[in-house]
Amino acid sequence: MNWKAIVLNTLKEAIRNKIFYLLFFFGLFFVFSSRIIGLLTIGDQTKVIKDVGLASINFFCVLIAIFTGINLVHKEIDKKTIYTILSKPISRDQFILGKFLGLLLTVGIALASMATIFILFLVLTTGKFEASLLLYFLMLFMELAILISISLLFSSFSTPILSSIFTITIYLIGQITWTYNHFKYLLKTPLTRVLTDVVYYLLPNLHKYNVKNEIVLGTPVAIGQLLVAVGYSVLYIGCILFATLMIFRKREFQ
Amino acid sequence: MTNRLLLFFFILGLAGSIFLQNAHDRNHDYFGEKDIFLALPPGKTLRIASFGFDNLVADSLYIWAIQLYSSYHLQNRYDYIEHIFNTITDISPHYIDPYSIGAMIMGEEAGDFQMAIRLLEKGIANNPQNWILLHDAGFFAQKGLKNYIKAADYYGRAAQIPTAPPLMKRLQAHWTYMQDNLDEAWKMWMEIYTSSTEYQAKRSAFNHLFQIKSDRDTTLLNQKITEYKALKRHLPSSLDDLVREGLLKTIPNDFSGSPYEYDRPTGTVHPKLNFRWKKNF
Repeated sequence: MNWKAIVLNTLKEAIRNKIFYLLFFFGLFFVFSSRIIGLLTIGDQTKVIKDVGLASINFFCVLIAIFTGINLVHKEIDKKTIYTILSKPISRDQFILGKFLGLLLTVGIALASMATIFILFLVLTTGKFEASLLLYFLMLFMELAILISISLLFSSFSTPILSSIFTITIYLIGQITWTYNHFKYLLKTPLTRVLTDVVYYLLPNLHKYNVKNEIVLGTPVAIGQLLVAVGYSVLYIGCILFATLMIFRKREFQ
Repeated sequence: MTNRLLLFFFILGLAGSIFLQNAHDRNHDYFGEKDIFLALPPGKTLRIASFGFDNLVADSLYIWAIQLYSSYHLQNRYDYIEHIFNTITDISPHYIDPYSIGAMIMGEEAGDFQMAIRLLEKGIANNPQNWILLHDAGFFAQKGLKNYIKAADYYGRAAQIPTAPPLMKRLQAHWTYMQDNLDEAWKMWMEIYTSSTEYQAKRSAFNHLFQIKSDRDTTLLNQKITEYKALKRHLPSSLDDLVREGLLKTIPNDFSGSPYEYDRPTGTVHPKLNFRWKKNF
């Protein structure tokens, strides 16, 4: 047994999960309903279709990433299948990395399916294919990868309910950490500033992945932003996975 | 409990809920006067509170605003119109429709053209390469404020944008003409006339050049006829009399090259064509 088996097994397990299908089809339902919402506007209906469609895919993929991720490790411990797995020639590190990649694959498949359906839907509605949407989905995938690593981190030492609360909270904070730069001048003492800076850099900054505006309004996305986003994802996910491995190595199973 | 009994309770429950909903609807005046909203936080706050879904929030508010301003029975619907559209455009500053449609509602329906132009100015500042907002601002300046200088300025700025259609240049020239800035208008229309290959643009330029020239020429000719009458105590028998008397070197023709019509009994000169754009304003 090697880490590839863990990846495939995680994928199978996630795909068999009913919540995965529920969120997937609910997401698609909202994607299609964007056409009806678009009819309510005056002016550019395509913009509303894209806004609603992209927001739905974003929202439901985030839910898939969180609710599938939080159960991964806890379920193995709860059902005691972890003993069987770790008794095979597989290390704890391989187990965690396999889980991460398996979930990344699952979310990637869900995102790719939703994106394909949405792009086809948009082509049928507007008659044109917009390649810039692919860039949006790439950015969203990187954001989801960060979220998966965070949900896996919490899943490695906490219960599913707490993990979901922590991950959702960090996701929401990650969306608004950019505002810190607007009010940090309010912090008077150097100590509070340093401490807040530490928290700022520890938490993920997910705002840079939000290119909906640029994609929908047809304005260019700076190549610098794209490169920073790729680099940040790789480094941040690496850090979170290292932290997860450190916690999981010390974890005792009873 | 048998299936039939379950079905009976289901139908009973459904009928009961329909009855209660109808009772509620009968006592509820859905179309009566009501407060528009309790509170709408500023756009910058909503942008943060949308957690990355700012586009969706802006769309939802915009669609809600359209429904609100289509509810003609609500007499108080314009109370917070500027705040509503400022909020939408603060959340999504590059979304063009709320500026255009918001300004249209403010100007055409609420009758506040200054407010409409304020919203469009905000849109222009946020989207300097968008000619549509400049066009709309020009339209409201000309129609609502009757400020033709401002209107020509907006159309002129729109014409500078590479994606703007040639119509912007014509509108600028037209509203320059309407300000009675005839020298400038003549230059603009002449440039359009000589450079344009489009039939409509050329025809429009021709009409304006014809009108500017005929206005100037007929004013001059009528003035010379008055001078002639003062000298000779009678009206000239033809316009050539003005040349013979040395009042004019030559008799000008209209822009198409045809002579002006001289009405001998009244002693006045008229062009063959007259475009009375100013009559309507």
